[in-house]
Amino acid sequence: MSMLISIKPEEYDFFVRINEEKDIVIARQMVKDIAKKLGFSLADITKISTVVSELARNIYRYVGEGFIYIRERKEGKDVYIELVAYDRGPGIEDIDLAITGGFTTTKGSLGLGLSGVRRLMDEFSIKSEVGKGTLVIVAKRRRSF
Amino acid sequence: MQERVVPIIKIYDCLVVPIQIELDDTTVEKIQKQILSEIENNDVKGVIIDVSMVDIIDSYISYTLSETATMARMMGCYTVLCGIQPQVALTLAQMGVNIKGIYYAMNLENALEILAGIEE
Amino acid sequence: MKEQILKNLSNYLELLQERFGHEKIWEELLISVAEYGDSDIYHNSIKESLEKILEVMKIDEVLCALDIITDKIEGFPKEDLLKYIIYIKNEYCLEKENNLREVKEALTELATPIIRIWHDIVLTPLIGTLDSERAQAMAEKLLLFIDANKAKYVILDVTGVPYIDTVVGGFLMEMIKAVRFLGADVVITGIKPDIAHTLVKLGVDFNNIIVKRDLETALKYVINLIEKR
Repeated sequence: MSMLISIKPEEYDFFVRINEEKDIVIARQMVKDIAKKLGFSLADITKISTVVSELARNIYRYVGEGFIYIRERKEGKDVYIELVAYDRGPGIEDIDLAITGGFTTTKGSLGLGLSGVRRLMDEFSIKSEVGKGTLVIVAKRRRSF
Repeated sequence: MQERVVPIIKIYDCLVVPIQIELDDTTVEKIQKQILSEIENNDVKGVIIDVSMVDIIDSYISYTLSETATMARMMGCYTVLCGIQPQVALTLAQMGVNIKGIYYAMNLENALEILAGIEE
Repeated sequence: MKEQILKNLSNYLELLQERFGHEKIWEELLISVAEYGDSDIYHNSIKESLEKILEVMKIDEVLCALDIITDKIEGFPKEDLLKYIIYIKNEYCLEKENNLREVKEALTELATPIIRIWHDIVLTPLIGTLDSERAQAMAEKLLLFIDANKAKYVILDVTGVPYIDTVVGGFLMEMIKAVRFLGADVVITGIKPDIAHTLVKLGVDFNNIIVKRDLETALKYVINLIEKR
């Protein structure tokens, strides 16, 4: 497996396997509960769940199978929720195009999937290799008020 | 017979569609089909989609709703989306979503007012 | 060590009083150390005396005094006392941080009042510079308020905002969009030249946003709309 596109599953608190449409709903409910427990505001909980919905849909639609990993991350006094979408699918050829919006490979969607995810989160990174897979890592910081 | 996933209520010349189930992609597509066939079968001027019970509207759901509004417009109907939750509104705005060709209302009463105010 | 301290207590105190003052508190500390200094257990009375000393004396003076005592008293637990001092200072820092956060929170509350000024009309005057954290907290508060009060118009008065950067400008536009998703309309008033500049450079589409020159005009306009219905 490529060194670039890999994560250490044992470092994450939770994961959801995505290979059916109902898994998208399961993933977003799960993340909603976790974000709630971590003390995020209602608006931020909704943003985070929406992000998971987008990431899980990308996996389901374009790859068919993959995983969403979730963990809490502390940096000094800051608390983050970190989400990872990982698949071993065909990969994305032009990443820049995929995240600037207006990009869509199948019917439907506003082409806002990844660009929306980036706007909703505080941290966003994506690694993809054609034929190997795609790894999207996003995080959101808990606001102090 | 068209599959029914949500109740659709006819009031005067409007259709009211309360969505009270968790939305996944297939469900939202079914709702779209159901709304369009109800428009075909009823002489109505507007469709009110009530999303006050919907906790998450992501890009695909909002796209399908916007698409539905455009299709309804082609069939001579106006669409009002009513009761979007505040946190959902913030999320949609931050994602950069534009749901075009649709009216927004706070509640059902407000939505009926808007439709009544449209002059043909 | 205990006997040594108690036997020479008055000598030590005289010395400390001469150089640093606060004889009473030093006496308390030395007695606590004599009583409990030998045990490894962390003791409250030592901590309390040290807290009192740190309140009235500067930290470098306290360190200097501890050096002098250590020279005089054999086996004086200077290292332990330093640990206590670090602990106390750390607690103090945390408390300060908490206070600062509370003040920041209060500032957000005060700087962004949300007022229902008329049937169906909400007024939000923005005061002071906005950062993205404040802008987001405000957006959440405003949206919840509109939803709870079923307001139809929001007058956003930015007269009190000297300038905004592009990030905050972006947040403001998102907030306006979010308000419209709820089915309410936004009227902006009091845009200063700098803000107009930023908003235009941001490429904000003003087609769907009502802008009025000042609060009075905005109020008249909105009230008129409501009366007409």
